[in-house]
Amino acid sequence: MTTTQETRWIGVSAPRREDAPLIRGRGRYIADIEPAGTVHMAILRSPYAHARINGIDTAAAEALDGVHCVLTAADLEGIGDFPTIWRLPGQKESNTPALAPGKARYVGEPVAAVVADSRYMAEDALDLLDVDYEILDHVVDVEAALADGAPVINEDLGDNTIIEYTFPGINALGVAGDIEGAFEEADEIVSGRFKVGRYSGVALETRGLVADWDDLRQTLTLHSGSQVASLLRTELAAALGIPETSVRILTPNIGGAFGNQWDRYPEDILVSLASMKLGRPVKWIEDRREALQATVHGREQLQEWQLAASSDGTVLGLKGRVLSDQGAHLHSVGIGPAWVTGAAAVNQYKIANYHCDVVGVATNKTPNSTFRGFGGPEAMFGIERMMDKTARRLGIDPAELRRRNMIQADEFPYFSPGGAVYDSGNYPAALAKALEAVEYDKVREEQQSLRDQGVYRGIGIASYIHVSGFGPSAILGILDYYTGGYEGSTVKIDPHGRATLYTGMIPMGQGTETTLAQVAADHLEIDIANVRVVWGDTDQTPYTGFGSAGSRSNVAAVAVIKAIEQIKAKAVRIGAGLLEADPDDVAYADGRISVKGAEEMRSLTLADVAQQAYWAHKIPEGDQPTLEATYVYDPANFTTACGTHVAVVDVDIDTGKIDWVKYVVVDDAGTIINPLLVEGQIHGALSNGLGGAMLEEFVYDEETGQLLSSTLMDYLVPSFTDLPDFEIHHLVTPSPHTEGGFKGMGEAGCFPAAPALANAVADALSHLGVEVDQTPVTPSRLWSLIDQAGG
Amino acid sequence: MAETMSVVLNVNGSGRAVSVEPRKTLADAIREDLGLTGTHLGCEHGVCGACTILLDGEVVRSCLLLAVQADGAEITTIEGIGAGDDLHPMQQAFSEYHGLQCGFCTPGMILAGIDVVSRNPDPTPQEIREEMGGNICRCTGYQKIVESVQAAAAVMSTEGGSA
Repeated sequence: MTTTQETRWIGVSAPRREDAPLIRGRGRYIADIEPAGTVHMAILRSPYAHARINGIDTAAAEALDGVHCVLTAADLEGIGDFPTIWRLPGQKESNTPALAPGKARYVGEPVAAVVADSRYMAEDALDLLDVDYEILDHVVDVEAALADGAPVINEDLGDNTIIEYTFPGINALGVAGDIEGAFEEADEIVSGRFKVGRYSGVALETRGLVADWDDLRQTLTLHSGSQVASLLRTELAAALGIPETSVRILTPNIGGAFGNQWDRYPEDILVSLASMKLGRPVKWIEDRREALQATVHGREQLQEWQLAASSDGTVLGLKGRVLSDQGAHLHSVGIGPAWVTGAAAVNQYKIANYHCDVVGVATNKTPNSTFRGFGGPEAMFGIERMMDKTARRLGIDPAELRRRNMIQADEFPYFSPGGAVYDSGNYPAALAKALEAVEYDKVREEQQSLRDQGVYRGIGIASYIHVSGFGPSAILGILDYYTGGYEGSTVKIDPHGRATLYTGMIPMGQGTETTLAQVAADHLEIDIANVRVVWGDTDQTPYTGFGSAGSRSNVAAVAVIKAIEQIKAKAVRIGAGLLEADPDDVAYADGRISVKGAEEMRSLTLADVAQQAYWAHKIPEGDQPTLEATYVYDPANFTTACGTHVAVVDVDIDTGKIDWVKYVVVDDAGTIINPLLVEGQIHGALSNGLGGAMLEEFVYDEETGQLLSSTLMDYLVPSFTDLPDFEIHHLVTPSPHTEGGFKGMGEAGCFPAAPALANAVADALSHLGVEVDQTPVTPSRLWSLIDQAGG
Repeated sequence: MAETMSVVLNVNGSGRAVSVEPRKTLADAIREDLGLTGTHLGCEHGVCGACTILLDGEVVRSCLLLAVQADGAEITTIEGIGAGDDLHPMQQAFSEYHGLQCGFCTPGMILAGIDVVSRNPDPTPQEIREEMGGNICRCTGYQKIVESVQAAAAVMSTEGGSA
């Protein structure tokens, strides 16, 4: 008999079951899938930022040997597009079309598609497509797009304003605050204007698809790297006008997703349609330039904030305006990330009076949509830079200013004027722990003496909240977000007592398969080797409403726990019959079903009971044969993860180069399932955050509207030598309302990264008065700031 | 149909004759003609390192070579590392130290790591970061890859072996 100790899997760094094939080169990614008879698609993309398409001559391409079909917008008659699932009141409809209908609106927008025997041939055929473009004036700057006389990107919308949404400071308790009063009362009003740069997930695996239409069975199998296969299935069937029952989405290994794969894309429709036309499998693998031009971008915002403070450092009010550069079309989540920025900007602080206008603006750029962090990192950049500016203005230490304004541990649930209910946390403790870890007083002292030696060291603090575990479906309804927030799980115990767990979650590198197996093994109290996790097949797995998997393990894990509770209760009922005992006298423990107090004598293994459940000779009245359960868990509230990061850097004032001294993380994501994997997620999210803080940027040329960073030589992904070693500490404040106390943690690392870095750099250069209000803080940008400041 | 050329690729110890268009990259030939899909394509312009292989003992990017240029060369891909359950210490260390998440960069990282340790049996973390700077990982932030390579180096030096 195993002991309880051996069956405790939660909190253990269990080895990843995902690794065995991946380290041998036997992962199976989309590009590795090629059913017999596969033909290959290549896509012609607009070389212009804004151009009318007066005609496309496809004759030469169609005549090329090996070409099977050419698709243009004319072939999309009767085919729908994907809806924007976040539809706020007053938001204009601006869905992304599968092929540019009469007008291309950004560089990289799909204009036509060719299917041929090989990818090489398909690209040959692209060269033979003759498009009659009429070049139009373009606009790639958000303020220019709002100016009178700006080129209008979508004529149907009248102008480039897609939506204006106001956070008037309303929460569950009613109207919160008096923003004008707060500003009248203030001793100091601090202003900031921030440009949060445009960058994105840039997964190492580019997107890809294999569509396989079976004409006789009327089924479409789509191999896809979507993070949210259930929703893709629903929306794809609707767009193609075929029953959802005909569509099966299979997900293999995903080579990184980072939120970008949450969205539905034009190519999902194009490969499916081509396969249906040709009656054979059609494969499309995005190349890197396409990935940089046509996979959604993220982040870009222009923020203006004003903060009202009293001289003792109390923040009395915050008001702001956020212009979100949406690009040419609304993609799957619309202005959702910018909305989250508005909702989260008060962060960890008791700011009673709050107002924020969020404006979604169309430009001739790639759609700006889902990316790890989803508006949160943008919000943290604004507020955390504002806290540092305020601290400097008031002459208060930035750590102390934060401490004075933080929500206290006994003030939860906290109703934020941004509208969120924070469930739990201990913000002052996280700050204190971070300061202790970085030896704050010591580095402050060193900073002084180093400056005398010409070494410009800076210390940057950034605290954060991450409202994760989206979300209660009823709340999503109130937010006009047209999906559910639940996760389903089916657990089946086979006749030998082993468990198979079916989840709608899509693992994409974060180790979901391992962590869900840990949760199941723990709650079934069996060995983890006896748990199999099935995912990635919509024919088998439960519908998932949301599936933003980085921060969803918490919701999915609860669904697993709840399904297992049902299984254990049923095992007890069946076991009681076999043990000839009253079910009330029988308990499930250590993977056994035993009569309480007589565990040594009257006890059955889970396998004993499972076998009986399948033979079904003695099933209790009211129970069905077999031993399985499905639970769909809709969370009661969001979970609020939190923490503080401290960056210590040296700035070379002659070159603008930033050298790392130390990077300390204190992270509180509630109960930790697998410490090693949590560390990996923090590292990864941090590297995404610091990438956008230091290097990564989609740069558009004002004059031509071209995307200048469309290779990995121009779009700089951080390399080994760009990132520091991270020092990670944890606090554990379990969520009070979720089974297990888990909170989402796959994204939080990227939230405070950019403001921590920017605050550190500004701190290093405080003698020059340099303010770091634009990301990324590239060496050349920083050098210019230093130069302008006379440094 | 474009003309093809016949080339012999000595991959993971066995000679394979393939018939390829002169314009076909070595990476595509390895993946499509030899069916060795552990060599991944992340950028096809020589920046990301996902397609890293060993060619006559040197680390190269197979997306930047044509298959015809590799005629007669000795090639090692990730499938040639370790044997069955007998993992190479580098593979073992990547799993043990969480040096991979999505796994897409991993074959290239493992080959690059083996190459680094073959030239420098006891690399410092800084040396690993500098030597492996040509391979991009988007998931890990690199720290755990550095730990993996260091741990593998320790094992490899006690075993006295390399690839």
